[in-house]
Amino acid sequence: MSAILLIAVPLLAAFISILFKKYAHYILVFVSFASVFALEYMDLGTITVGGFNAPFGIVLILDDYSLIALYIVNTLFFLVAILNCNEFKKVGSIMLVALAGLNGLLLTGDLFNLFVFLEVAGIAAYLITTTNKKPLATFNYLIQGTVGSSLYLLGLILLYAMFGTLNMADMASSIASSGYGAGVTAFPFLLMFIGFGVEAKLLPFNSWTKGILANSNRLTGPMIASVYAAAIGFVFGRLLTNVFVIEDTFLIIVTIILIFSVVAGEAMAYASTKVREILLYSSVAQAALVVVVFMSGFTGWAVYLIIGNAAAKLVLFLITNTATKQLGNDDVETFKGLFVNNKIIGLSFTAVTLSVIGLPMFLGFVTKMNILENMFVSGDYIWPAIILITSVVEGIYFIRLLLNLWYKENDLPEVKFEFVLKYVVVIIALLIMVFGVYTEPVQESADDLVAYSYIEGGNL
Amino acid sequence: MTVEFLILVALASGILAYFVGRLNKVLGAVVTIVASMFIFIMIGYMMQDINAGTTFNYNAVEYMPDFVTFMVTYLGLFFAILVTFIFAMVSFFNPFFVEKYKYPALYSMLYLFSLAGVLGVFLTDNFMVLFFFFEFIVWSGLFLIPLGKNNKAAISYYAFSTAGSFALLYAIFIMFAETGSYNLHLGLATVSGTTEGTYVLALLAFAAFAKLGAFPLNVWLPRALGKAPDPITAVFSGGLEKLGAFVAVLALVKLAPVGDIAGTLGGLTEATFLFASQYIVATLGAMTIIFGTLMAIRQDDAKKLLAYSSMSNGGYILVALSLGGTLGLSGGLYHIVAHALASAAAFLAIGAVSRVTGTTKMSELGGMIHKMPVTYMVYLIAIISMAGIPPMGGFISKWLIFQAVIDNGLILIAVAVFFGSIGSFLYVFRPLAALFLGQELPQHRDKAKEAPFFMLLPMLILSGLIVFTGVMPNIFLDFINDVIAELGGTGLLLGDYTITGVNGVLQPTLIASVFGVGVLIAFIIFILLKKSKKVGLMDTYTAGNFIYTEELMHYSLDFYAPLERLYEKHINITKDFYKKLENKVVDFGRMVKYFFFTNKPEITVFWIIILIGFLLWGEL
Amino acid sequence: MLQYAAIAMLMLGLYGLLTQRNIIKIIVSINILEIGLNLFIVSVGYVEGGIAPILTSDFNNNGLVFVDPLPSALVLTAIVIGVGTTALGLALAKNIYQKYGTFEIDEMGEE
Repeated sequence: MSAILLIAVPLLAAFISILFKKYAHYILVFVSFASVFALEYMDLGTITVGGFNAPFGIVLILDDYSLIALYIVNTLFFLVAILNCNEFKKVGSIMLVALAGLNGLLLTGDLFNLFVFLEVAGIAAYLITTTNKKPLATFNYLIQGTVGSSLYLLGLILLYAMFGTLNMADMASSIASSGYGAGVTAFPFLLMFIGFGVEAKLLPFNSWTKGILANSNRLTGPMIASVYAAAIGFVFGRLLTNVFVIEDTFLIIVTIILIFSVVAGEAMAYASTKVREILLYSSVAQAALVVVVFMSGFTGWAVYLIIGNAAAKLVLFLITNTATKQLGNDDVETFKGLFVNNKIIGLSFTAVTLSVIGLPMFLGFVTKMNILENMFVSGDYIWPAIILITSVVEGIYFIRLLLNLWYKENDLPEVKFEFVLKYVVVIIALLIMVFGVYTEPVQESADDLVAYSYIEGGNL
Repeated sequence: MTVEFLILVALASGILAYFVGRLNKVLGAVVTIVASMFIFIMIGYMMQDINAGTTFNYNAVEYMPDFVTFMVTYLGLFFAILVTFIFAMVSFFNPFFVEKYKYPALYSMLYLFSLAGVLGVFLTDNFMVLFFFFEFIVWSGLFLIPLGKNNKAAISYYAFSTAGSFALLYAIFIMFAETGSYNLHLGLATVSGTTEGTYVLALLAFAAFAKLGAFPLNVWLPRALGKAPDPITAVFSGGLEKLGAFVAVLALVKLAPVGDIAGTLGGLTEATFLFASQYIVATLGAMTIIFGTLMAIRQDDAKKLLAYSSMSNGGYILVALSLGGTLGLSGGLYHIVAHALASAAAFLAIGAVSRVTGTTKMSELGGMIHKMPVTYMVYLIAIISMAGIPPMGGFISKWLIFQAVIDNGLILIAVAVFFGSIGSFLYVFRPLAALFLGQELPQHRDKAKEAPFFMLLPMLILSGLIVFTGVMPNIFLDFINDVIAELGGTGLLLGDYTITGVNGVLQPTLIASVFGVGVLIAFIIFILLKKSKKVGLMDTYTAGNFIYTEELMHYSLDFYAPLERLYEKHINITKDFYKKLENKVVDFGRMVKYFFFTNKPEITVFWIIILIGFLLWGEL
Repeated sequence: MLQYAAIAMLMLGLYGLLTQRNIIKIIVSINILEIGLNLFIVSVGYVEGGIAPILTSDFNNNGLVFVDPLPSALVLTAIVIGVGTTALGLALAKNIYQKYGTFEIDEMGEE
């Protein structure tokens, strides 16, 4: 089966679903399930589109990296879709477009094509976030997203003018063979970095996140914080490891941005008293951490960091938003004692949170330890210190949240969680625990990804 | 019995305890007794094996990743036996307390999980395993503490423990970068004395301070110990706090001290100089003693009082270990034993009281001796040991520590150490007088009765051991000598019934017999002479006034007011510091939120332009 | 020369985004930015004295200089996307107006 179907089928389904509006959500669930299922039958390799060979035409690349990314994003997407298909019937068609856009983002090997999919996924995201009923926040997101992708396009065109290619792999090798110093490419790369930084929630460019995620509902919260974050993380990782040349002044700028994102993200989460705000600021810090790990070159562990975060944020936002809807607001005060009568949900929430903090017995611990170990081996002593110090802060606010949710004597909030949600949440929590203890497969696959470089795609 | 088997037993029985606990709360807690007794006995058996050889190396089994290794050393075994013993003793309390807590099944599970963590930390030669279990204990303890009174204590426990753990982790990674392996002994040996060694020493010392609750990382200890469920308090003070002592041994003994050599006043036989690192740690240890003592004097809550006393005893351990040498080491290690036993017994006794009265505030209690004489005896023996009075274990260890300090010519630290000792007379007798002696308060007169047999049993065993460590210390010191030999030092010179120090020979058994004779005479006098007459609290008048509230007559209220007035303005130094630190983080977070997160798209555009400008600076 | 004009428009668009607090004006600004960007892309592909890159069978123009056709193709896509975003933005503007009764962000108040 050709990987192009992963883009074409959802897109086609989106148009069909407009004709059959009543069944849009069934089509959505079916297609998103089918695309997870179809991944099993995909052949690895490069797919040329339109008969033009690699550096000249658009190519889609399905390698181990994008296969993992597709699995994660499609699975998470399917979970979000099935949990919300009844409540948000209207956005069924849009979700299908989003699926096409996200799959395209992960598959494409062409920089301009990436821009197109970024916009497709972006527009779908703007439309999905209109279900928050906060048009101003969505507008803010729209403007920032558009500015970001415009800057990405500008950087891309500058690169095209310099090297005459749009193919990622070809671009990387042209830059390497051109002999230009890093100073020449720094400007376009910075523009592209900013463009992605907006979507990836890096700090100075992410003011949209508060409006979107702090007012999110059960669809938008997991969708933006988990599915989109994972997809953007994976694509950003591909660019960072394979295309970008980050040196000199550019490196300083990027490092400052990242340190600021991590530190300020944790501090803001610490200063927050609303559950969704805590989660969203923590995901700002985590997103920056993902970028750091990619930049340090530990692709395998960055992938696991993304997976861990995406799974965690899915669980956390699902639970939080379900509770918020029933309780009316998301102050920690209101949430107090939430888990006393919802033990299963509480245990999953706790397990996932402990994994995000990086306590032993959970996947997050394995990931964090390996990232730190690799950093130390490569002689980096600064980032581990920053990561550890911010981890303390992160741990404190998450533990404070957990204890508040677990311990309260009377006057408990009444929240009902439906059966499917419980199922999903428990399975994710169990997986996080299982792979936190049984680390062998994680270790091996991560090592494989480190050793492997994607450049073999793109007809090179 | 391999170590990993025992750990699995602990984990499995923890899960078992959870499910049994779901069916029947008390039965779940009984599982903890069986499991922790089993583990203690198995660890005890290990001691027999180890006497034959030097160290036992258990390589990991196949289902574990290949870096998981366990190793039994004298040092690890010393700590493991002690802490598993405390766990086993305290576990007898669980069935009587568990029903009061919000999540009884969880309590039983986490209790055993902590025990598994303890085994993992002490019985490994692999740093990663050590760290894994270190953190494992942190998160099991984290959910145990708030089962008591409130959440805040658990949060500050988490904050300080994790800061400590991460310092440990950073040190581990520095050693890993140097050696390429996580081997504990190799790592410490490699960095010892190098520049990296300095960082490792500082970081490990930080971890030890955080875990021991030593000054200036002391804020969590009284909170956590004061608020945790009563059995957990005993476990923390007697057992889990000793993780810090273990790390302190790694940092202060297994690593060469660093810094400039500073001369001291000179001693008799020991080394006449100390390194800067030893000085610093010893000074901080001394400050811990003073701070803990002064704070303990102020407390009204008996548990908090004992918590501060735990802190001050942690200071003794740090002072002793930092000085090193034969006396310092054996004094420090013996003090670990003595304090573990005494504080566990004292906390259990207080726990037994709080079980029937529901409070640990001294001003709300009194005269418990009439209803709980055995508990009173247990507490009495425990505090005698804490105050370092013969014939209890605490006397032996303090005797050794005093000698180590004086022999190194550290006058100021000696002052602190003696001050702590005298201070402990001041405070440990206060709960005795306020809680157990004096008048019975009306609100507890009917409810109070002696603790059931299975609660008395562990307390009596502990009391017996406290006395035994004071009368026959050589049995324990023998084992400590093995530990010291393994650490590369020379052990104490021990006779059959004598301990040879620098300035003389101690005969603990003789002292104990003299003491015993004294007690016997006093007891005979007590029996023969006239009994005291019981009167009600209101059966009195003062200066012609009638007393209407009984509490005012309670003599433990504001007992040391004149002394407290001397320093009451400065008691919150550390607390304020961390409060301010927290506020800074919050302020920073709020500021960033204010500057970056608005509903106006221009903010993002502005920062983008600034960044581009920064890159192009000087280029255009 | 065209490049400078394009960059000037880009800057103008950024300036508009930076200073305007009216929803419609922001949308206009972002359109200006996009047009500037599109012009810039086209200008990148322009070759001095080049002709339209159309290959015909009855007239051999192999020896002549072509304009780079790729940027033009890219611009087509970019324009379409730009129109899509603008439409979405305007739809949101309508929603915002319905909710707050104004287009001025300052008058809506922080949430």
